[in-house]
Amino acid sequence: MEPQTKRWKGSVCDTDSWVPYPVLSDEQSQEVGLIEAFAAPILDKKETSRLVRELNSVYPLSGLQHIKRVRVCQKEGSPHPLEVLVCRVSDAPDMKVISIDSLLPSDGVRCNGLGEPFVVKVPARPPLTRPQFELASKHWPTSFHEDKQVTVALRGELFSPPQKAAMHAYMMSAVAAARAAKKMGMEPVGAVVVDPSTERIIAVGHDCRADHPLHHAVMVCIDLVARSQGGGCYSFDRYPACLTSLTSDAFHNEPDTDASSQPYICTGYDLYVTREPCVMCAMALVHSRIGRVFYGNTAADGALGTKFRVHSQKDLNHHFEVYRGILSKQCEDLNVPTAT
Amino acid sequence: MGTEEESRAASAESFHPSNEDIEKWMASAFDMAKDALENGEVPVGCLMVYNISEPKPSPFEMFYMVALDQLLDWCHHRNLDVKSVCKQTVLYVTVEPCIMCAAALRLFNIPVVVYGCRNERFGGCGSVLDVSSADLPQTGTTFKVCVGHRAEEAVEMLKTFYKQENPNGDQTISSLLQIFFLCIFSPPFLFVFFFVPPPFTSSNISWRHLCYKYTLCRASFQHHFLETLHKQF
Ligand SMILES: [Zn+2]
Ligand SMILES: [Zn+2]
Repeated sequence: MEPQTKRWKGSVCDTDSWVPYPVLSDEQSQEVGLIEAFAAPILDKKETSRLVRELNSVYPLSGLQHIKRVRVCQKEGSPHPLEVLVCRVSDAPDMKVISIDSLLPSDGVRCNGLGEPFVVKVPARPPLTRPQFELASKHWPTSFHEDKQVTVALRGELFSPPQKAAMHAYMMSAVAAARAAKKMGMEPVGAVVVDPSTERIIAVGHDCRADHPLHHAVMVCIDLVARSQGGGCYSFDRYPACLTSLTSDAFHNEPDTDASSQPYICTGYDLYVTREPCVMCAMALVHSRIGRVFYGNTAADGALGTKFRVHSQKDLNHHFEVYRGILSKQCEDLNVPTAT
Repeated sequence: MGTEEESRAASAESFHPSNEDIEKWMASAFDMAKDALENGEVPVGCLMVYNISEPKPSPFEMFYMVALDQLLDWCHHRNLDVKSVCKQTVLYVTVEPCIMCAAALRLFNIPVVVYGCRNERFGGCGSVLDVSSADLPQTGTTFKVCVGHRAEEAVEMLKTFYKQENPNGDQTISSLLQIFFLCIFSPPFLFVFFFVPPPFTSSNISWRHLCYKYTLCRASFQHHFLETLHKQF
């Protein structure tokens, strides 16, 4: 039937309608920042290597190892083809008039071959992503150790079509759980924990905070995962949409057989959640050692990108990858009040 | 409606434990921690004190000690509104709550948290993140923090515990602070803060063992809770 095909296309298979973007650390997301430095034209190209050597010993530019010392002159038709970085403005001696002679102590560098200095802005720290690198390079040539995976991820191209189809299906389960929660008057948030090595759903949970202020979808889901391993602290039996794959093998497994392969509750697992987790849930994911987190939309108080980046927080003992934008339209629609 | 709301807000604003309160209830928290240490449990004590001075038919100012997992039940049994009880409740704990627990305290609208030593690894009241005062309008309410009461003693107990657990281990503060903070699957979450030194977090002991251990810990806490309550009245 025509409408059904359409529906099927729209809800299950339309993986082109969304793009997963990585949620990177602060350092990777912020601009690199700029500091002021003195540069000078190299009037005689043959002096370049000597000038670089001598400048390096007088002004080593420590902390700016990512900066290339010499650049090709940016102005077209300039009489001198190269420019060299002399020093940070903050490192320069006090000068009444800015001149190359006052910048350079006479015994350290022979200034012949150098023109008069001018102020440039250079990147304050090494770029970590391609967008940062491209922005930084506009100011001064900068070295860049590219993390190819991050570059591809930032283009939204990290996951293959089959991978996206699987992600789509997992998030659809989370959306279904969120709808069930919404019907019961809870917050419309659903979550699914998946073992990517077996492609098996371990647990599906949804928000239950009307019962308990801490039973957010992620907390419910983690407790259900614990339950699937013979633990868990709560019963969500009265919620038909909160499920865990408590299979017969889980019962028959001796506790110690997979104890070594399962040191923490969520080691190696992926979480799909319709909305960005709050700080409590984000830290619970750290405590339980989640592998990766995929969410639909950001939340005002979200702790995986919006208010905090708990997944890449320095000082914490576990970090994980986070992707947003999975089924973003369907997840966004959950927040629209339903006309009944 | 307006005036009632306002007066409630005002009372929440001014609600703060006195020095005597802090002294007294932190002493109880430390007793709990010491007890735990003697029983080979993680030496972190935590309790919640609900101060009802409003209805005042009783000549005494009444204090109830409530653990958070019991808080909901406790309120339901007495037909009390959880939110308004929480607004008059102080949490006393020997070690700074972790990020997750700090957020949970916000979600419970606890206005004041008194703690002993900092938790440099996971602390959510300023050490790693400051969840207690962060601008998170959808994550409950901010809470005030009183820090440093008997801090050295709290660290000392953790150190002792760590030495007991790892007789051959390196007993430096920094390795002590490598502790894994497991409070997540403890149903009362907030009232037992569970520390496990590094060797226990590796694959030789699974989280399940921790949960079992936790269950014991929880039982002893409840026991202690009743005992203390008994002494109070
Ligand atoms: Zn949450
Ligand atoms: Zn905690």
